[in-house]
Order: sequence, then structure tokens, then C-alpha cells
Amino acid sequence: MTNRPILMLRTVGLLILLASGVCRPLFAQSTRETIDVVLPRVVKIFGAGGVANLEAYGSGFLISSDGHLVTVWSHVLDADVVTVVLDDGRRFEAELLGAEPTLELAVLKIDAEGLPHFDLSQATEAGPGSRVLAFSNVFQVAVGDEPVSVLHGVIAATEPLSARSGRYDVSYDGPVYVVDAVTNNSGAAGGVLTTRDGLLLGMIGRQLNDSESNTRLNYSIPIMELTSTIRQIQTGDFSRNRDDLSSEVANNFDAIDFGIVLVPDVVERTPAYIDVVLDDSQAESEGLLPDDLIVFANNRLVHSCQAFEAELGQLQPADDLTVVVRRDGALVTVTLTAPRTLPQR
Amino acid sequence: MRRFTRQCLFLLLTMPFAAALADERLEGLEEQAFREAAVAAAPAIVRIQTVGGLDVINGLLTPSGPTTGVVVGEDGWIITSSFNFASQPASILVTLPNGQRYPADIVASDSSRRLTLLKIDADGLEAIKPADAGSVQVGQWTIALGRTSDQPFPNVAVGIVSAVGRIYGRAVQTDANISPKNYGGPLVNIRGEAIGILVPLNPENSDETAGVEWYDSGIGFAVPMAAINNVLPRLQSGEDLSPGLMGISFAELGVTAGQPVLKRVRPGSPAYEAGLREGDIIARIDDVETPRVPHVRQELGTKYAGDAISVSYLREESVTTVDLTLTSKLEAYVAPQLGILPDRASQADDGAPGVIVRFVLPDTPADEAGLERRDRITAIDGVPVANAKELREVISHDRPSDQIELTVVRGASEESVIVTLTEMTADVPEQLPSHAVSESNTPRDEAIRTGRWVDVLGGDESRAYWAYVPDAYHPEQAQGLVVWLHPAGDTMESDVLKLWQPICDRRGLILVGPKTSDQKGWTPSELDFVTDLVEEIREQYTIDPQRIVVHGYADAGALTAYAAFQQRDVFRGVSIAGAPLRVRPPEVKPEHPLQLHFTIGADDPAFKSTEESVEILRTAMFPTSLLTIPEHGHEYATIDAIEAIARWIDALDRI
Repeated sequence: MTNRPILMLRTVGLLILLASGVCRPLFAQSTRETIDVVLPRVVKIFGAGGVANLEAYGSGFLISSDGHLVTVWSHVLDADVVTVVLDDGRRFEAELLGAEPTLELAVLKIDAEGLPHFDLSQATEAGPGSRVLAFSNVFQVAVGDEPVSVLHGVIAATEPLSARSGRYDVSYDGPVYVVDAVTNNSGAAGGVLTTRDGLLLGMIGRQLNDSESNTRLNYSIPIMELTSTIRQIQTGDFSRNRDDLSSEVANNFDAIDFGIVLVPDVVERTPAYIDVVLDDSQAESEGLLPDDLIVFANNRLVHSCQAFEAELGQLQPADDLTVVVRRDGALVTVTLTAPRTLPQR
Repeated sequence: MRRFTRQCLFLLLTMPFAAALADERLEGLEEQAFREAAVAAAPAIVRIQTVGGLDVINGLLTPSGPTTGVVVGEDGWIITSSFNFASQPASILVTLPNGQRYPADIVASDSSRRLTLLKIDADGLEAIKPADAGSVQVGQWTIALGRTSDQPFPNVAVGIVSAVGRIYGRAVQTDANISPKNYGGPLVNIRGEAIGILVPLNPENSDETAGVEWYDSGIGFAVPMAAINNVLPRLQSGEDLSPGLMGISFAELGVTAGQPVLKRVRPGSPAYEAGLREGDIIARIDDVETPRVPHVRQELGTKYAGDAISVSYLREESVTTVDLTLTSKLEAYVAPQLGILPDRASQADDGAPGVIVRFVLPDTPADEAGLERRDRITAIDGVPVANAKELREVISHDRPSDQIELTVVRGASEESVIVTLTEMTADVPEQLPSHAVSESNTPRDEAIRTGRWVDVLGGDESRAYWAYVPDAYHPEQAQGLVVWLHPAGDTMESDVLKLWQPICDRRGLILVGPKTSDQKGWTPSELDFVTDLVEEIREQYTIDPQRIVVHGYADAGALTAYAAFQQRDVFRGVSIAGAPLRVRPPEVKPEHPLQLHFTIGADDPAFKSTEESVEILRTAMFPTSLLTIPEHGHEYATIDAIEAIARWIDALDRI
């Protein structure tokens, strides 16, 4: 018997050892090892709530060794004392350093040192089909000196969470990761979404319903969207820009401003059929006809008269309005221009 | 040797790392495969949007959001879930992966597998590649794909095949997250080949929106591609496909039902025309043994109307095999009417068998044949009947216009009476003596609550209700039960109690009024509360199952009808005041007779739609009565109208 096969095995073993342990010392590689690394970095938060289906608990994650942590901006923080419990059961009172409601973001601080934590500079991005892990104290299952719960899934989609569309009851207006697992339940908000090798992807959001499909939306806000604000709050440089908080629905233009009269809006979802095209109007010169069914306006689906009026309300003077109508079984595209001045009403 | 041990030790020490690497590599490869599968299928996945349509179907708010379709023919054929069109949209738009938009037309639907075929005017599309039908195995990876946002990549959910041949052989089951986000999209294997098309389904329910309630539960379904490809040419030719019906029902129902013994064979149905009759036992379908009822359902589950099958049945120890062609629509069952109200005592005072006539309804076959109060019916067509239940059961198998021979004992004489049955009506007699509440010999248990009282169901504060039980109540005498559903924002408790109390006392009715905690009124999810309450009252009191009625006013009318249509085995009557029918009526079931009664003011804005509802219900063969209150608006019913409702309730045990 020669030594060669054993030598070869030994070399392979060494290579494996290097590949698995040495190359990425901070983040383990298999899902099981990732979980071991991530769990101590996720905390349980207890505060206000407990009435009218509002839970008095939530989740958060550590971002510095001396006790900075990130969570969702919610009613849970609206308490005299907000308590943070680590995975090993240690308990701290938290101080609210700052919050940015339009990002659903709050940063807390506990008085501790040497804590395991996420490195925000190592946060990453991922696309549909990527395997992910969600860590949170969902339904307050972790009650004692124990870590939070882990769920697995894949990223179903990355898409904008448009507050403007009225589809979601939320102030955040940016991209989100949608996950195919039921990650967003009571208490999960403020938890983390990571890749399977433990890199930070997002913060789990609140419970939201998608008003278009009547389903729960399981989403996380990408860390990349939060990093600079977190840093500012952490360093004390943060001041909120309050001007952009107005959520008033604009009502700049009506169909009539383009020479279009829609059919009477009698039911909730009256299709946006053109009833009359006014003489000498822009609609007439661009060739719109009575009985045309408006189906898209500026690339947004028009599923009703109301949706069309809402779209026009958003236009600024002199904006282009590209309308797609269905006429005799074909689609016709027409571009109109909003008047240069707002109409007097 | 020592050297070898050392080598082994080294290997042992490195093994965990090797395992970790294997895990990591496998996870990474799988992740890559998920993405590649999605990319492979993506060109055939289109986005579907609809314009206009209904807001509410079966009590659920219909989604207005985009859904998904799959290209199955490069010249513009797109298959999708029929769920997308439950709201009957005015227009359908398809967006291809490259962003190009097309108007789409519905070509045909498969209502058995709940699929719809669309056509757009396009060429050179990339059709989905189907997976090898025999390759699908429980436990294999599945990737569910949808295209509901305008992102270039389809949305992805990953799971495994949980089962095959589900929903009576119609579907593959998966634990991937299936929801309106991917209904109509493909369920693909790891190579991106379509296993099936995602649809909401529920084995217990065949409504248009059934199965949606499971969207977050780890239970989802896809119709196998092989089944779709089998029927694609028929759909492309514009033929709508429906489940194939035989026209039979079984003595035993449910998943544990045993031998398939026929309880009913619908006259005029394929089974009837082929010679099957009550009492026959189905032994084989298409040469497959069917020892139990579920076997029969499994065999018929994948069959369409128009499909020919062979059925072998056992009658008097000999097996006969017949061929028949399944149909899409059975003639509605029409309940026959004799026209009597039976005495409610369990048997005659002298203990003799038979059915004592309590009342003869005017202008009915019984009236015309000269039957009288206190007559005792002892046999029908020479077969003795012991009690009202038996008589009702036997007659329910006859058809209106059938002639039957009753043996009637009147005083000391016995005679034979020939009666021609008519269609069951819900006509309310002008006069109907109340069924006198007789004194009982045994005193009533003191603990039984009577009069008006309030409580919460199961200690749950959100399930508050009030009740009125006549003071004369005695457990030996079954009472009718009226469940009152109040309109939004007003329990009307004192008004309703004042109007109904004397009537309840006179006619032996218990009145219960559940209260919704929602200011906006009842929601379909509160059906559980209503049925649990009925169950609770039935446990506490002796209730006549023939006289359980749900009565609602104005916007509560929707839940009123919904409750009765969903709980067929509980409710015998629906009474709606000041509102039309807002729920589509189900099919008439002989085993669950149901009557409806509408009360509407002549000046009520809902007057016309209520008249239309009654017409719809009568066409569907539900015995339905309409009471118009002259010079009355939308207000709750007058005392005269309530007297009429009470007479109708009192006559619900009519035969």
C-alpha cells in the first residue's frame, strides 16, 4: 500500500479546510452556520401596545459593538421604557436616538459593550430566486434566554412599494424585497433578512396588505436604502426633512382639461370609456373618439374612471400624458400635453 | 499502522468542514438552479391586467391587481386561471415580457379545472416547455412563477411537490407560496419546464373564488400541463369545458363514506336515462373498481361533459354495465308538494302509526283531493308510513305531476285518495291557526332561561347576542328558531323584540339576535359566529330542525342569504326585509330543502331589484315568496308583514 491516496486525501482535506474556514472568517457558509452567526445579532424589543390587536413587542438588530441597534418605527417604541433583550437573555433599557418615519426606521442605543453586531458596510443586494433567511421574534415565540426564530425562503421579487398608488397603507416609498415565506407577522417588524451566507439584505417591514390582490405582503426594506440615515442618526448629524411629508392627493387636472368627458362614474370600477370628445380640443386633434376605452395613462393601468382622474391629478403643467385606448379590439397610443397653467377652479 | 491512524484522525478532523462545504455548495447550486429555471420559463410568462368589473364576489372583495398568464401557442394563445376573470372585467390586457401590450379576448373556459384560454393578435411568441408528465414526483423542487409587476424578472416562490392527483385527480399540490400574485402562472421544475398552471382550488368547494383562502397556508395547486394539452384544441375551437355530471347522489356523503349506494338518480339525467335507479351500487367506472364513494368521485373528477364512460352497477346480486355520456347541466331538482302541515307530536295520541294532518294548505293537491284536518295518512302507494319524516322523505323522491295514492284514515273509516302532486311553493296561507302549546305533565327545569336575556358566546366579548324565549317554553315541545341579523350600526333590539314577542309566544318561536362588533355591518367571516350561535341555542333548547330561519333587514340581507346558502343543513328558511338577494343562489338540493321569503315596501328603492331576485330564485326552483307592503318605504316590516312572515315560518314543515 502506498501513501499516495492518503496524501491526496490529506491535501484535499486541507483545501477544504481553507475554503470553508479561512476565506471568510466572519461569515460562515452553510445555512446552519450562518444561523449560528446571525442569531446573537438579533434582539427582542418590548414596549407599548397590547391593546386592540397591537402587539407590545418587536424585533431589532445590532449594528455596533457598543449597543446601537436598528428597528422599525412603530407604536412599540411609544413607551416610557423600551426594553431590549439579547439572545442570551440579558436585558437593557433602550434609548431612542432618532427615527425616520418615511423609511419606517428607528435607531436605539443600549448601554453595553463588546456585542456581536452586523457591519453595515458589508450589507449586500440580491435578486429574485436568491435564498434568504428571516430572523425575528415573530409572535413573541422567543420568551426567555433564547434567540429569535428563523424562517427560510427565496426572494420572490424586488419591486417598488409605491405609497402613492394607494395600494398600501405605508409611508415608505421605495424598493422592497418581497419574500415567498410568511415573514411579516406580529412582532417580526425590525428583524433582518439575510442571504444564506449571512450578509445583511433588509429590515423586515410591518404587516401590510396589498389592496390590489387582497393578500399579505411579506416585504423587507433594503439596508442600502437605510444605511446613510442610520449613520446620520448614529453620529448625531441627522435632521429630518419635514417638507416632503405632505401626503395630500394632488388634483391638478381633470379629464375635461384635455377635452375628454368620461362616461358617468356610477359604480366603484366604472371602466374609463370616453363619452364625449369636446370640439376643438386636444383630445379631438389627437384623434381620440367617443367609446374609446382608456386602459393606460403614462404607463399606469387605468382600471376605472377614478383611476384616470387620479392620474391626471398628479400631472404638472406641460407634462406629457401618454394615453393608450382600446378601440375595436386594438390598442391605440396617443400623447397629449397638460395645459401650461393650472386650471382655475 | 500508527501512521494510518494519524491520517484517519486528520481526515476525521477535517470532515465537518467538508460537510459544511458540501452543504454550502449544494445550497448554492440549488439557488442557482431556481434562478435558471425562472429565466428559462420567463419568456413564456405574461402579465394580465383587467379593466372594470365587479367589486365583490361571494362576499369577498375581488382583487383588481394584475395576474399572470402563460403562452401555450406561439401564435398568441395564452392560458391562465379563471380566477382572474371572476369579476367579469370590461377589457383584458396582456403585456409580453418585452413590454409590448395587446388587448386579449377570452376564447373559452374550462370550469372543471378553472382555466381560461386567451388569444392575442401576436405571432412568434415563445411557448412554455411542458415537463415530462411521468416525471413529476412528490418531493421534487417546484418553482412558482408570476408576472404581476413590471419588473423584467418574474416573481418567484420555491417549494416542493406535496402530492399528485389532488382535487379528484385534477391537480398537483405544492407548498410553494401560491396567491393572486402567481395564479395563472406556471409551476416549473428545476429545469424551468412547466409542471402545471397555478389555480386556486378547494376539494370541498367549487365556487369561482374557492381556494383563495388557502393562499398563505402552504397549500397550492397547479393543473398538470398534460391535462391542459389534452383539451387545448377543444378550448382553441371555442368550446367551453365543464365538469361531467351523471346526476346521482349517494346514501353516504363525505370522505369516510362507504359503498357507493345510489340515494337519488336525478330524473332525465344521463344516469337515469342509462337505467340506473335508487339503491343500485356503482361497482366500476371505466373498468376501475369503485368500492367506496370517494373512488367514484376520483374517477369522475377528471371527466368533462361530453365524455363517454362505462358504468357497472350491482342490482339484486347481478352486475350490469351501461355506457353513458356525461352532461354539463342537470335539470334542477323540483320539490313536489302535497299541501299538508303534519301534526308536530311525534305520534298520534293513541300511538297509531301514520301522519296526522294539522292543516291543509289552500289550493294545493291535498286541498283539491279533499283531505281534511285530523285525517291520518297511513300509507303512500301501499307502503306504510310511520311518521311525518318518512312521508316527507318518500314524497321528496317523487316528481311534481306524479300521481300518488294515499291511504287515509278518517274517523273509523279508511279510504284511498289519489293525489296529483304539484311544485312546492312558499305561499303563505291567509289564515294559519297557531299550533296550540299544550300543557305538559312534567314541570320544567327551573334553570332553563326564558324571557329576554343577553349573553356572549363562549365568553368572547366580540360575540354578544340577545335572545327571547317564550315563557311557555317546555323541552318536550320543539320550538322554531329565528336568527335576527340587524342592519349596520343599529341592533334594533327593542323594536324587534316589541314586534316579535307576542308572535313568538303564540307560534312557539325562539328569537336570537347576534350583534356584529363591526360598525360597518356584517362581514362574511362572521358566518361562524352565526352558526356557532345556532348550535349553542340548539344545545340549550329543543328546536324543530324544520323551522330554523335566518331573518335580516337591509344590508344584513347579504349575510342572511349567505348564511343559509353556506349552511344548507342548518337553515330551512331565509327571510329578507328591505333588500334584494345579493348572493348568487346555489343549486337546489333535495336533501336540504330551503324556502325564501322577501318583504319589501312598494316605495323602497330596492323594490325592483327585489322583484328580480324573486324571479331568479324561482327560476332556480327555490320556493320563494314575495310580500309587498303598499305605501311603505325602506323602513323595517310592519306588524302585519311580520305576522305573515311568522305564518310562513309556521308552515315551513309543509309536505
